Amino acid sequence: MCEYSRKLIAWLDRELADDEMTDVQRHLGECFACRTRLAKYEQVSKALDSYCAAVVEANVHTRRPSWVPTLSLVAAAAVASAFAIVLLRPHKEQPVSVRPVVAAQPVVVPEATRAPGKVANRQRSRPRAAAQTVNWQPAEPVIQVAIPAESMFPPGAIPEGVSFTADVSFGPDGSAQQIRLRPRLIGFERRTTQP
Amino acid sequence: MSGDSLVLPLSRLGSRACEVSTLYRELREPLLRYLVCLGLSSDEAQDVVQDTFLSLHRHLASGGPQDNIRGWVFRVAHNQARNRQGSYHRRFGEPLDVEDNAIVDQNTPEHVVLEKEKLRRLDKALDRLSTSERECLLMRAAGLRYREIGQALGIPVSTVGDTVERAIRKLTETFHV
Repeated sequence: MCEYSRKLIAWLDRELADDEMTDVQRHLGECFACRTRLAKYEQVSKALDSYCAAVVEANVHTRRPSWVPTLSLVAAAAVASAFAIVLLRPHKEQPVSVRPVVAAQPVVVPEATRAPGKVANRQRSRPRAAAQTVNWQPAEPVIQVAIPAESMFPPGAIPEGVSFTADVSFGPDGSAQQIRLRPRLIGFERRTTQP
Repeated sequence: MSGDSLVLPLSRLGSRACEVSTLYRELREPLLRYLVCLGLSSDEAQDVVQDTFLSLHRHLASGGPQDNIRGWVFRVAHNQARNRQGSYHRRFGEPLDVEDNAIVDQNTPEHVVLEKEKLRRLDKALDRLSTSERECLLMRAAGLRYREIGQALGIPVSTVGDTVERAIRKLTETFHV
């Protein structure tokens, strides 16, 4: 076997030093066996690319039902309405009746604590102990949608690509009672069911 | 990613946003492709990608080293995939179900059949490789340089070169191109 044969794949991947790249290039012009071998390596590399694309196609794209985006739009409209109701309604004191059970760290925003403006700051300044005393026990019905971060936070505050999943629970009178926000990365929203 | 809430300080988020966004746009698809080809389900791969980029954000926000950041991202994702031992490598050994629309050139039905058969043969050939050979090849197919693969897998660059070379030669022999 030609002494250059072991350098062919590194040459193909442009992983050799400049002088070696030139050397192999020159050798390929002279050696038919290496050119044939290189063609096979290129063929396998291309087949591997096709293989990866096919595996992703089989595992990712075909598993997302076509109605999900539509449902997301409808749900987004619903949650936008819920936000509007919550943010525009006059502030009045109401006792929070739910009790804690969740160990995670969701941002739970009960209706009584919400007021127009400074949503982000309030979420961060909220004492952790206080957040944990409010438990997430969603009342029926519950919807879960993704909300673009830029619709809630100042420009640049949240990295592009991050969105939030909002779990909204409604009271018997149709008003939004609780909203739980969880960060997600745009493009990878998953349909999830409420626990 | 369950249980992660937004706890990063806003002042630091803004300055890193561009950096993370650029890497996210660049690496999301290759990462997803690598993880799914490695054997994770699409849902698991999506979770790993999300967790990886949140880790990246924390890494950058805390002033972590930024050299070879692509390798760093793949290393985090790769380790998370390894932690999911239940599904890792699960797909290898199972028949590859290739969709018709996964074949790029669909000139004739015969061509589609041949291409599908070729991909199944390649799947079997990949199954015969060692784990490190397969991981190196899949990272190479995801567009990583040898230096980045070395960082991701924690092996020297020269070992990556040898492993890729050996794996391609094995594939060429068993794939009969």
